[in-house]
Amino acid sequence: MQSTEFKTIGDASWRKDGIAKVTGSEKYAPDISVDRMWYGRVLRSPHAHARIVSVDTSAAEALGAVCLTYADVPHTRYNERIVSTPPCLYRDRTVVADKARHVGEALVGVAAPTEALAEKALRLIKIEYEVLEVITTMDQARKDGADPIHDTVLLDGVDKPIVNNVAVRRTIDVGDTVKGFAESDVIIERKYKTSRIYHAQMEPKSVVCRPEIDGGITVWASTQSIHNTRILLGQIYDLPLSKVNVKKVMLGGSFGSSIQMNSVTPICVGLALKSGHPVKIASTREEDMHDHVRYPSEITLKLGMKKDGTLIAGEMHAEIDIGAHNIQAYPFLGGFGGFWASLYKLPNMKYVGTAVYTNKTPSCAMQGFGAPQVHFAVESLMDEIAHEMGFDPIEFKLRQYVGLGGTFWGQGPASKCIIRSDGVPELLKTGSELIGWDKRQKSGSQTGRMRRGIGMARGFHTSGVGHAKASGAEMIDYSGAIVKLNEDGTVDLIQSLMDHGGGTNHAISKLVAEELGIPNHMVGISPCDTRTSLYDVTTHATRGIYAGGSAALRAAKVVKTQILEWAARVLDVLPESLVIEPDYELGQGVIYCPNLAERRMTVGELARYLHLNSLGTLSSSQSLRMVNCPPAYVSYYVEVEVDTETGQIHSRRAALGSDCGTVVNPALASGQLIGGLSKGQGYALTEDNQWDPKTGELASKGFWVDGKTPSISESPLVGDIATHFAHTYEPTGPFGAKGLGEAAKNPAAAAFANAVYNALGIRFYEIPITPEKVLAALAEQAAGKANKTGQATLKAPTPVAE
Amino acid sequence: MFMNTNTRLVSPEFDYLQPKTLAEAFTMLADHGGSAKLLAGGTDLLVQMKMERQQPSHVISLSRVKELAGITEGDVLTIGATTSIRDVSRSGPVIAGYTALQEACNAYSTVSVMLMGTIGGNICNASPAADTAPALLVHDASAVLRSGKATRTVPLRDFFTGPGKTVIQPGEILTAVELPKPAKGTGSAFLKISRVVADISQVCVAVVLVRDGDTITDCRIALGSVGPTPMRMKQAVGALIGKRGTPEAFAAAADIVAKDITPITDVRATEKYRRHVSRIIARDALLTAWQRAAEGAAK
Repeated sequence: MQSTEFKTIGDASWRKDGIAKVTGSEKYAPDISVDRMWYGRVLRSPHAHARIVSVDTSAAEALGAVCLTYADVPHTRYNERIVSTPPCLYRDRTVVADKARHVGEALVGVAAPTEALAEKALRLIKIEYEVLEVITTMDQARKDGADPIHDTVLLDGVDKPIVNNVAVRRTIDVGDTVKGFAESDVIIERKYKTSRIYHAQMEPKSVVCRPEIDGGITVWASTQSIHNTRILLGQIYDLPLSKVNVKKVMLGGSFGSSIQMNSVTPICVGLALKSGHPVKIASTREEDMHDHVRYPSEITLKLGMKKDGTLIAGEMHAEIDIGAHNIQAYPFLGGFGGFWASLYKLPNMKYVGTAVYTNKTPSCAMQGFGAPQVHFAVESLMDEIAHEMGFDPIEFKLRQYVGLGGTFWGQGPASKCIIRSDGVPELLKTGSELIGWDKRQKSGSQTGRMRRGIGMARGFHTSGVGHAKASGAEMIDYSGAIVKLNEDGTVDLIQSLMDHGGGTNHAISKLVAEELGIPNHMVGISPCDTRTSLYDVTTHATRGIYAGGSAALRAAKVVKTQILEWAARVLDVLPESLVIEPDYELGQGVIYCPNLAERRMTVGELARYLHLNSLGTLSSSQSLRMVNCPPAYVSYYVEVEVDTETGQIHSRRAALGSDCGTVVNPALASGQLIGGLSKGQGYALTEDNQWDPKTGELASKGFWVDGKTPSISESPLVGDIATHFAHTYEPTGPFGAKGLGEAAKNPAAAAFANAVYNALGIRFYEIPITPEKVLAALAEQAAGKANKTGQATLKAPTPVAE
Repeated sequence: MFMNTNTRLVSPEFDYLQPKTLAEAFTMLADHGGSAKLLAGGTDLLVQMKMERQQPSHVISLSRVKELAGITEGDVLTIGATTSIRDVSRSGPVIAGYTALQEACNAYSTVSVMLMGTIGGNICNASPAADTAPALLVHDASAVLRSGKATRTVPLRDFFTGPGKTVIQPGEILTAVELPKPAKGTGSAFLKISRVVADISQVCVAVVLVRDGDTITDCRIALGSVGPTPMRMKQAVGALIGKRGTPEAFAAAADIVAKDITPITDVRATEKYRRHVSRIIARDALLTAWQRAAEGAAK
């Protein structure tokens, strides 16, 4: 369906929070201040692995500070990301730790009337450590006799022993891979490695907690879910949820790093409860960089196919270094396998995912979850196969991708759905035209210093974690919304769903305006908190518009029915004969009967009539779980310029396509794609956190300048980035919409690696592709060595093209 | 220790002073001696204070001392010490005659840092990676150092004594840098390699060439981030002066540069990569400067 058929959806309107953001008046968690507020700081471990022998806080307390040690907090372990259900929830955390498991682990919270005093007090705390073996690699962790980082974790109420530091393993088997590989004409196997990058969100994790006179607490926190934060705080501090109120404050970016309750949040609450004062903790950037990273991966991918390229068997082994805590390795490994299974048709597949503890910063969700890692391996290998066997990569992929009518299970085996909208052929065709795919040089044919290359990769992300099963879900997935008609015809939308910054809340207000037939400026997005809003699981899995928007739309539909029923009485017509349309000159929604033109009134007139006659407020409160999780397809074509003398790779042009179904706001949707390119470019080319293998210290020491995050300076010029959208309509989505946000990044690394291959004729199996790696590979190429770095093809590819 | 290292909180206490004249600043400096620090743009000092590498008892801000800011043209080009990097990069005389300096200022991290950072602060901080230092060295700049009693002018090549160390004596303030007029037939260039644009250099190089027809009559080459101080390359220069400016000659000089530098491996780059790209960008800068020298106007 063309978006032009809509009244409100599809226009590039200014987002409602735009002016507050650009003028600096918007309030984020670190901006919150309340009366009598104290400031908290956190004493963090300088050791990567150490037992705490003793803690002496007396000197700090003598200064008037309040300290929160392990002795002061509940000892029941929790998992900070309660999206998963208890059988899938691995609990290994306490508010402050009894043992240091990574450099930067929170050990003692300190609160004082000023931040300077808190910092001064913090330095007077004496901790005696018993330093343990520092484990920084997965091999080291799994060695027999390696020090256990966790002896046990709590799983569904039972203590589960951890053996060889393996946190969790998941396997998926489809068909018969032994038979599949035996029947293959060509088998190719490659190893890929992806890095452990920092989220680089603008807002370092911050929180304010005010203890209330009734024993309850009010909390303002950086979070992707105010309700999950509330539930966890209630569980940890044994408070009834009616006494835990978490306020919705604007999130200053996240990229997934606030899917869990941030580690400073329960510390702040503990300090507030102990001191009796409101307390604020605003993490420093350096603390933040020691708090969360993307899951790195080591992937072995083997594909077997017929001579014509038809894939018949696949085997993937993924090893994931999760760092010191298991935030969500179980769903991550499930998603990893599901993303792979949903890219290309594989009748026989075997997947083994293993997550291993190390003494490093805990890994957590980041834009794309496991999909960027999987896309890098699969889209790199598909490109390699196409080149080796003489197929056109686009045709090769179009022949075998999982599309219309296929089964999508991007978020893992527990969430599957039939694909009902598919813009992949259109995306690949439009993208190839925009970038000039046919004009690209033959791979490896260039000889000058500066070599250009065009690369392509495709993929998707899921839209939410919906599924049809009535019970036994691995993940919680529902949203709520309240829509009410005000006394002047404007509408309040009350929804706890958080906006990462991409404009989700604004987009949902447009869905409501579209349904009610009123101009979008009449829909206000209400400030709310956990007391005044319905539950929303969290803004993750690219579910904001698809799942959160569907809940709001359901409420808007009810309110529209109420409006039409009342208007029908006033206008003396049947409700079915009425329509509502926005009138931008009047600045109102107009209710009228097309068959009887004089029977008309504005929504505002109706609202006043209802009010003055005490007929009540029209409103609806709806909660909704989606039963589908459609793929948000995306296509990436990028052009790079490689300086073969310095090894630097410059990103020069890009054509980025999205199949997000109906485009709710083209300007913001385009911005999501361009943002995905920027983040993807950092992932592909520059960003990589390193840890000292001996001490477990972050090599950057937490200084962002050493995070190597690309800025606008690294981006292609605005005119050299083309964005485009498929003309599709998702029948299960709100007005045909599905997701976009995470999809915008997923194929980026593979597209860049494929572009570098086109420029140099060299395959890179490890990201980031740094200048040092480029120079080393060029030197090998010049020396006539194979560029596959020892990677073997098990059965030689036989080109079938005569 | 890790837990105290951050770039947000200024933990130690200090007094903040804001003199309005240089005379007042000298008095304050005399009163508080070695425990005072001068503050210009603050892009280095504040970070170091937050990281507690510097713990001054008094911070003397020079932002209100008007005589320290601005660019004046006379026999030499005088750039006041507190002139922002951004103002230097947009100055007409700098654009007209000192291309390497202008390019160094444009390569100076992001716009917000360029607006805060000052040319005096950049060289007094004496980082081996200071972007403007190699450029000022090849433009033959001098540092004007004043105390309450005297003024002395130190050629910049004698100014840096080690990482974070200069010849500035207690009681002295760098008031300006002076750049002599470029000779006829001068061309210059600055190149920087960094992991991302908003980053400290892995290597940077500045070059000045003076040509008479096809002959190199004068040459200066300086590099940053390849040794304990910004380094001048005398051997490579010796190999070029009096020779014809050919790609081969520049490549040979760049080879000498790569041998003479003393880079280390750190979080930003390996020693090997630094040596490799030093050769590449030294050669590129020489070729560019040579071409610019031919383009006539003294650039």
